[in-house]
Amino acid sequence: MKIEILGPGCSRCRATEEIVRRALAELNLSAEVEHITDPVQFARRQVLLTPGLVVDAKVKSSGRVPNLEEVKQWLREAA
Amino acid sequence: MSELLLAGLSALEDYVALHVLTCLVPAFLLAGAMVTFISRETILHYLGTQARKATAFPLAAGASFFVAACSCTVIPVSSGLYYGGAGIGPAFILLWVAPAANLLALIYTGAILGAEMATVRVVSALLMAFVVGAVMTGVFRREEEQRELAFAAGATETARPVATRGSLGLMVLLVATLLAPNYLVQSGPYLHKVYVWAAGTLLVALYAWRVKTRAEIVAWLKETWWFVRLIFPLLLAGVFIVGVLGALLPQAWIQTWLGGNGLLAAFLATLIGSVSYFATMTEAPFVDTLMKMGMGQGPALALLLTGPGLSLPNWLAIARVFGARKAVVYVITLILLGTLVGWVAGQFYFTH
Repeated sequence: MKIEILGPGCSRCRATEEIVRRALAELNLSAEVEHITDPVQFARRQVLLTPGLVVDAKVKSSGRVPNLEEVKQWLREAA
Repeated sequence: MSELLLAGLSALEDYVALHVLTCLVPAFLLAGAMVTFISRETILHYLGTQARKATAFPLAAGASFFVAACSCTVIPVSSGLYYGGAGIGPAFILLWVAPAANLLALIYTGAILGAEMATVRVVSALLMAFVVGAVMTGVFRREEEQRELAFAAGATETARPVATRGSLGLMVLLVATLLAPNYLVQSGPYLHKVYVWAAGTLLVALYAWRVKTRAEIVAWLKETWWFVRLIFPLLLAGVFIVGVLGALLPQAWIQTWLGGNGLLAAFLATLIGSVSYFATMTEAPFVDTLMKMGMGQGPALALLLTGPGLSLPNWLAIARVFGARKAVVYVITLILLGTLVGWVAGQFYFTH
């Protein structure tokens, strides 16, 4: 599973990454987590509003910090 | 040294302490509500599909008010639209209007410099946006034609509404809470404003309790808290620096170089605004301090517009995302426009 967090390094983006890592730990899953800060890459993935969360090339959320339960649901589906 | 410290602290007292309850708290709540309850995806989607039509320019300018509540988030939005197929005109209009006339900064400008300056700021920002959009479209015409062919495929429509009626009601109430303390209580002690603010806030809370679920209210307050955490420390630091600068800069310099409403003063104010970075909202106290030291109203307007809209870091980011040629055309156009708007407003509008 490949997880990408898209954001220019803002505090909301860091919060998103933290939630993803917590969800992975609670579900006992391992994944490749990458924090992408290049706006050109956001555009390529069609994420307009940051922070964006992409799981296995699918945009799961954008423009807000997702909550832990949602993220766990997405990760379970992708695992 | 202690004198400078005192100047910084007194600026904090004047520009922040007096505005926290009646201006900043409702402003942050409104920004949070916009992020939570307005479907920005729907607005952007609509903008994407309409981007090739005549309505694209005003639509992009209007959407800018709702899409980004601070300048930090606008580059990904604008570049995303551009690479997703929107025209270069609408993309750069968004890039300009969102920071130059963003909601938080406008509310704060109104509270500190008065409603007239806030109004002139919005109108000028919009006028400049249309010129920037037209210039970018004209200069990169050939490139646009090729891009148009590449994006000829149609997009699908989404049915999600921009905002529900309950959400709209909530936002209207928040705007009323923002305006009421300053316009109902023109004179008298500050405490009267606080009463009006408290009544408004109580009304907002009751209304929210009725129309919104618990989860929605939690999400709204969380978003509001993000804005406070992001912007408030920068505002405090910025206002402190403004106070210190006000004490350091010799008044004679300000009067010589930025005084009056001449072309040179407008140009210098634009240049200062275009190069230096102003955290959202700090441009208002900076301009107020300089005006008290003798800066003319025309140059003040130019600085208010270009201060948050352009900065050296922002030039570099735009060059990286859109390419150096587009960044150069954009920045030069805005410096010329800022100078022109400052000069024209100073000569023909601010004549009283």
